[in-house]
Amino acid sequence: MSSVAVEARGLWKGYGEGERRVEVLRGFSLTVEQGELVAVVGPSGVGKSTLLYLLGLLDKPDAGEVWLFGQKVSELSPQERAGLRNRKLGFVFQAHLLLADFTVEENVAMPLLLRGERKAKALARAQELLAQVGIAHRRGHFPHELSGGEQQRAALARALACEPQLLLLDEPTGNLDTQAAERVFGLLLELVLNRALTGVIVTHNEALARRCHRVVHLGPSGETPC
Amino acid sequence: MRALAFILGRYLLGLSRRTHVAVVSAISLVALGLGAMALVLTLSLLEGFQATIRRELREAGPHAVLLPKSGDKLPPGPWLERLASVHPELVFRRLERGSGWVVAYGEAIPVLLEVVPGLAAVEVDRVLAARGALGVGAEVALLSPAPVLSPLGPVPRRLSARVARVVPAPARAEKGTVRVPEPLGRELLPQGGREEVQVFCSPGVDPRVATARLGPLPEGVALRSFSELHRPLLAALALERLLIGLGVSLILLVAALNLLCNLTMLAAEKRADTAILQAMGWPAGQVATLFRALGLAMGGLAGLGGTLLGWALATVLDRTRAIPLPKGVFAASHVPFHPTLPSLFLVLGVTVLAAYAAALLPARAAAQRGLLEGLRGE
Repeated sequence: MSSVAVEARGLWKGYGEGERRVEVLRGFSLTVEQGELVAVVGPSGVGKSTLLYLLGLLDKPDAGEVWLFGQKVSELSPQERAGLRNRKLGFVFQAHLLLADFTVEENVAMPLLLRGERKAKALARAQELLAQVGIAHRRGHFPHELSGGEQQRAALARALACEPQLLLLDEPTGNLDTQAAERVFGLLLELVLNRALTGVIVTHNEALARRCHRVVHLGPSGETPC
Repeated sequence: MRALAFILGRYLLGLSRRTHVAVVSAISLVALGLGAMALVLTLSLLEGFQATIRRELREAGPHAVLLPKSGDKLPPGPWLERLASVHPELVFRRLERGSGWVVAYGEAIPVLLEVVPGLAAVEVDRVLAARGALGVGAEVALLSPAPVLSPLGPVPRRLSARVARVVPAPARAEKGTVRVPEPLGRELLPQGGREEVQVFCSPGVDPRVATARLGPLPEGVALRSFSELHRPLLAALALERLLIGLGVSLILLVAALNLLCNLTMLAAEKRADTAILQAMGWPAGQVATLFRALGLAMGGLAGLGGTLLGWALATVLDRTRAIPLPKGVFAASHVPFHPTLPSLFLVLGVTVLAAYAAALLPARAAAQRGLLEGLRGE
């Protein structure tokens, strides 16, 4: 069995039409081994988040292919992509994107509920994860009652709820101050490495990026692996 | 399905928060509820007045009439007695009809003459009483079209009688009616009049149902049922109810459009939520279902509240006779409200349907909105 978890082959992606069209990714390729944590760094607007959305099956490339765990996924139907996202992928975004109408515990349990798990079981799993990210005491609170760091911890716990094989993180510490960012990133590394998860993390913070297994620089002229 | 119900319930609870969208949602709910209440009150009012009119129709005249299919005479034989024995809930009254005049205060008024076997004294209906200023005890001259020979030639047969009773007139009667005992009738109509049998139902029996079951009738006898006797009026009442009901339903239409705007705003407000739910693997179809279900739930809540409130208000207004009517002008002493179960279900159904229809567009828009738009828009 191949040890390649993620493979992007010649990805092209642009936005807009005619003269206003902007090509963000031009034939980008990337391979991530299983259990590897890759950081993608680069200035704003070079397509870091776009790359993450393509790998996370949230968007389709204009050209090129995406393979996840040996399966070509870039041409799956929306229904199949949704199923795959729920079973194999976990996301953490720069803005935590927690659901405001639900408690922290319910937010973390949500991927399991969407999968059809019973509520009691999903909530029990959410409590475990909240304990692991250190905010078990905040489980009954609503997202707006949490600090930025706590919100991002909750988002991390939610991403891990379905025991994903691939974790995709888009500027997970982008909205946090230096100390909080350090704490959240440390926790993230610990959780990912302990679980031997595959991860792709997009960040501006080169110091944090260097703590990953590999750093990929994405610039206007394309990729520069380090 | 479990997740859908969970999210739906929480979104509905979320509407109690004091956000702009929640305030608009509250207005939409109140508008839908008020629309449902107005419709219940209107239908109850119409049903109240129409029940009064139907009761008047029932009290004022026969509930069905048996007529000869051709000619003036009903077939001979004991068929009427047999019919009476089969239908103990009905009363059959045979009579003959003809035309004549009543002379009162020097004026000859054309009237219908009814020869009623078993009647003891002369009765006039309210139409004639009003036209001829007649009351109980008034002396009248009855003129028959059958002439008698006199030294001056043929003159109308003329008999005097005293009015013993004033009875209700049939609905929409234009001509007055005089009901006379059989001996007097034989003198006025020596050739006999057109025979008919009037059918009356016992109290508590619906004339439309009872007379529809009448039969089998002998050869040569035709039935004019309660509905046929009053067809124009009953059709006008039904049309009135339909058109006024449709008119008041426009309130619901406006409320549904308001709900459409509200759900569109709600879908925009929740676009990050729906995007993250989709990122977690929820299919876009479920997002559409969520917003359709929201419309359905809001319509159900508002419809149920409005319908119950309308029913309660109609019942209280009717029981307390809160809105009196001038005596002598209307048949009823107060504005009657009769909420019926079918009309309550109809209003609830229409409200829920309107809300569901209002949710279709926002639901479609929410499902079709780009996932990334929601994720990046936060």
